[in-house]
Amino acid sequence: MNTNIVSLMNSKTLLSYRGPFYIELISVFGMNIRNFNDAYFNSRKKLFKIFIELSQNVSNYSENFHMVNNVQRIGVGELYLKEREESYCFTTTNQVKNVDANILSERCELVNASDQIKLREIKREQRINSPGEKFGARIGLIQAVMLSGNKLEYKVEEIDDKYSYFSLTVTIDKY
Amino acid sequence: MENITLQSSPATPYFPEVNFNVDQGICELKGESYMEETYKFYLPLINWIKDYTKNLKRRLEVNVKLIYLNTSSTKCVLDILEILKDYEDQGGEVKVNWYYDKSDPDMVDEVEDFEAESGMKIELREF
Repeated sequence: MNTNIVSLMNSKTLLSYRGPFYIELISVFGMNIRNFNDAYFNSRKKLFKIFIELSQNVSNYSENFHMVNNVQRIGVGELYLKEREESYCFTTTNQVKNVDANILSERCELVNASDQIKLREIKREQRINSPGEKFGARIGLIQAVMLSGNKLEYKVEEIDDKYSYFSLTVTIDKY
Repeated sequence: MENITLQSSPATPYFPEVNFNVDQGICELKGESYMEETYKFYLPLINWIKDYTKNLKRRLEVNVKLIYLNTSSTKCVLDILEILKDYEDQGGEVKVNWYYDKSDPDMVDEVEDFEAESGMKIELREF
């Protein structure tokens, strides 16, 4: 049997959600992750940080969104947190423009092709050069890989000629 | 200039506690920082520091006691450190202390990155 299928069969869903990514919800979910009653304190700390980054990417950038008071845009998407014997596996999915799916895929490839030293260099450069304000630091994906030490797994599923679903998975080892 | 004081609340743990005190020349951020529209939250704090360093020109001590900050918040903190570095280069007296939890080595790396990016010396202190 395929090892990925075996791995999926052996995983336990800790959290799944589909809808708008309000900060209030992200915060409650994050608190829940922190309070998992297990022995993997350090990995949970990393998981929390990665959880917040990827969830806020959905909240900020999903092309499917809710408007709050006609002012604030809250992205809609999905998240799944699974536990395997030796790792946690966190996935987010949200709608993106096809052109952005290509840019994101290229960014994932670049991050995956870089070692920790190179990632730190890119992180510093990107943060300094980011225009800031609503654009943030633009280092969320880099941070996720630096924290987890694992490569990003991504999947693009085209919806139509304009939009796709972009899924991103980060694995956080327990040990 | 007015002080800026914001208390933390369990209902909104994504906002840090803020204490910017004019008379004491102290800026303190405590707790966690991962709110939405990060820049809108930090803009008044950035403007306070610009105002203090431009008009009062007194010693300023910055104490960061954040146990977690998301990457958007790190950009705002970098903006603050760059302003402080400019102030120091112009002869201003600045001290930056960063309090961290010994069990969180990632935060030590983050502070090293801040130092490299801003040129500002940051003193690491354990909680």
